Amino acid sequence: MKKYFSREKWQYLLYTMSHPVDGFYWIRHQDRGSVPIAILLVIGFSLCFSLNRIGANFIVNDVEPTTVDSLEELSGVLLLYALLCVSNWSITCLMNGEGRMKDIAIAIGYGCAPLIPVFLLATAMSHVITEEEAAFYTLIIGVGIAYAVALMLIGIMQVHNYTLGRTLLTLLLTFVAILIIIFVGLLLADLIGQVYNFLRSLYTEIIFRM
Amino acid sequence: MKHIIKRTFTLLLALVLFLLSFPVQAGAVPYDSYNYDYWENVVQTPAPYVPDSVISGISLDIGAFSKPQDICVAPDGDLYIADTGNNRIVVVEENTLEVVRVIDSFDNSGAEDTFNAPTGVCVSENNQLYIADRENKRIVVLELDGTLVKIVENPQSDVLGDNFVFKPLKVSVDYADRIYCIAQNMFQGIMVFETEGQFSGFFGTINVNLSLWEKFWKKVATKEERENQTLYIATEFTGMDIDEDGFVYATNIDETGEQGVRRLNPRGEDVIKKGRNEHVGGDLWSGGSGAYAGPSQITDVVYRGHGIYSLLDRKRGRVFTYDHEGNLLYIFGGLGTQAGTFNTPSAIEQWNNQLLVLDATRNEIYCFAPTEYGSLINEAVALRHDGDEALAVELWQRVLELDENNELANTGIGKAYLSAGDNEMAMKYLKLGMNRDYYSVAFKRYRSEILRRYLGQVLTGAVVITAGIWVFLKIRERKEYSREGGSGK
Repeated sequence: MKKYFSREKWQYLLYTMSHPVDGFYWIRHQDRGSVPIAILLVIGFSLCFSLNRIGANFIVNDVEPTTVDSLEELSGVLLLYALLCVSNWSITCLMNGEGRMKDIAIAIGYGCAPLIPVFLLATAMSHVITEEEAAFYTLIIGVGIAYAVALMLIGIMQVHNYTLGRTLLTLLLTFVAILIIIFVGLLLADLIGQVYNFLRSLYTEIIFRM
Repeated sequence: MKHIIKRTFTLLLALVLFLLSFPVQAGAVPYDSYNYDYWENVVQTPAPYVPDSVISGISLDIGAFSKPQDICVAPDGDLYIADTGNNRIVVVEENTLEVVRVIDSFDNSGAEDTFNAPTGVCVSENNQLYIADRENKRIVVLELDGTLVKIVENPQSDVLGDNFVFKPLKVSVDYADRIYCIAQNMFQGIMVFETEGQFSGFFGTINVNLSLWEKFWKKVATKEERENQTLYIATEFTGMDIDEDGFVYATNIDETGEQGVRRLNPRGEDVIKKGRNEHVGGDLWSGGSGAYAGPSQITDVVYRGHGIYSLLDRKRGRVFTYDHEGNLLYIFGGLGTQAGTFNTPSAIEQWNNQLLVLDATRNEIYCFAPTEYGSLINEAVALRHDGDEALAVELWQRVLELDENNELANTGIGKAYLSAGDNEMAMKYLKLGMNRDYYSVAFKRYRSEILRRYLGQVLTGAVVITAGIWVFLKIRERKEYSREGGSGK
C-alpha cells in the first residue's frame, strides 16, 4: 500500500500536472506513477462530476437533481475508463507503442485530475454568480476539460513514445476498438441469453413430460 | 383461539369503518387537472374548472342540435350557436338560458333564402351577425334582427386558382369590420375581406419548414418516388378569435405539436410569446401508442381578456390556458362519456365567466365553472398583465395554499418582494418559482448588499493581518540576525 500512495507519488502527480511532457516520460521509464492513484482520481472525477450535476445552482444547472444517480454515473465512468485503457492498449500493442497497460491507465487517470478541482470550484462558484456571469462558469469548466484532454493526449503520446499525428491516429483506432468491444460484448450477452433460454425450455419440457 | 379470532374481527371492522370515514375524492371531477413544472414533469393540480351545466337543443326545447360546429358570444351577451346539421343559428339569452330566436332563413331581396351547413358564426362589435354558410359557398352578413346586410361570395383574385371553390368554415370580424375567413382546402392562410366584401389577400400564412434531412431525401428521391411521397404542405387553420387590439389568435394542427396557435398582428406576422419551453401547442409529452397518443390537435381558441387565452385540443379533449407570456396556467378536460368530458370537441367560448365547449358529436355544449383555484389564477394573471403586480401577491398567496408548488405563484410573490426591496425573501420565492432571470436580479442586489455591509471589516482585517505578518517576519529576521551575530563572526 505504502508503495502506491507514498508522498513521492503524490508529489510527482503535481509535477506531472505542470510538466506533462517530462512527467509522463519518467512515469514510463522510471515507474514514477501509481495505478491506484490513477483509479482514485477517476473515481474522484466521477464523484465531482455528479456533485456538479446535483449541486450546481439552478441558474446554470439544466439537470433535474433528482434524476442524477452518482453510483450509476460512477460505474459508467469506470466502465468507460476500463474500455479506454484496454482498447488503447490493444491498438498500441500492434502499432509499436512502448507503453504498458499500467502506463496507459496512469496517463488517462492522471489526465482526469484537473477536472476534480475544476468541478468543485465551478459548483461552489455557481452559488455566487448571476445569470449574466454564467459565462465564467462555462469558461472554467471549458478550460478544465481542455486541460484534461491535453494532459491525456500528452500522456498517451509520451508513454508510447509517439508523434502527435500517430497519437491521434491510434486514438481514432481506439474508439473503433471500443465500438468493436461493445459490439462483441452485446453479441456475447445475447448468445448466452439464447443458450440460457434453450436450456430453460429444455428443462420445462422435461418437467412437463415427467 | 376463539379470543384471537374475535379480536381480529374487531380490528378488521374498525379498519373498515376507519377507511369508510374518508370522503371519496376520486371521481369528483371526471378528468385530470395538471400542469408541467420547470423540468417538464407532469404535476397534478387542483381542478381549475369543474363541469357545471349542459346546454343542448333538447334542454332549450327546440329539438336536438345536429353536428354543431361553432359558437360565439355577442357583445350584448347572447350566445350564438351554428347548428350546422339543422341549417340554423340558435340564439340563447345570457341570464335566463332561454332561446331568444332561431335564425333559419332571411329575406334576400324579396325572396326567402336559407342556409346550407353553416359552420361558422361571429358577431362583430357593431352588432352584425356573420355566418360562414359553407355549402352555399358564401358568408352571409345579417343585422341581429335578421335583415340582410350583405353577402360575400365568389372571391376574385389572381392568387386564387381557376378551379378554386370558396367554402368558408370559420369567420371572424375585427373592429374595422374586416372579415377573416378560414376556408376549406385553403393552405395559403386566412382569407381577408375588406368592409365592402371584396377579397384583399391572405393573412398569416404558415410556412412549411423542411428539416435538412427531409431536404436531403427530396434531393435524392427520383421523380416517381417524389410523386408517391406525401406532399409538404402547410396545415390549415382550424379556429380563430380576435382580441381587443385587433390581433388575431389562430389555431392550426401542428404535426410536431409545438405551436398550435399564432397571434397575428395586423400585418399577418406571428407575434406570440412561447414562454420558457418554446411551446404553445398543448401537451409537452404525448408518447405511447394508439389513437390517444401523438401531439395535441388544437382545434379552437378563445381570447379571454388580459392576455389570457385557452386552446381546445381535440386529440385528448383538453383545454390549455396560457397567459400573454406563454406560461401554461392550467390544464383540464378529457375525452370520455361522463358528463363534463367530450367526444368531438369543436369550439370553445367564454360566457359569463364560464368556459363553454361545444361537442359536435354529442350535440351539446358543456359549461365549466371556475373553482377558487382557477379564478384566483385568472385574477392574479390579469392583475399582472395590467401592471398591478403588487395587488396580485395576496391572490398568489392563496393559490399557494391550494397548490404549494405553483411556480407562477412563487414567481409572482418573489417579484413582489423584489420590488419591495426584500432581496432574501425574493430569492427564496424566485428559486421556488424556478425563475432564472429574476432570481439573478435579486441575487445581484443581495450580493452587493452583503459586500457593502462587510467590505469594511474584510479590508480592515486584511490590513491588520498583512501588517501582523510583516511585523512577525521582521522580528524573526532580526532574531536570526542577532543569533548569527552572536555566533561570533
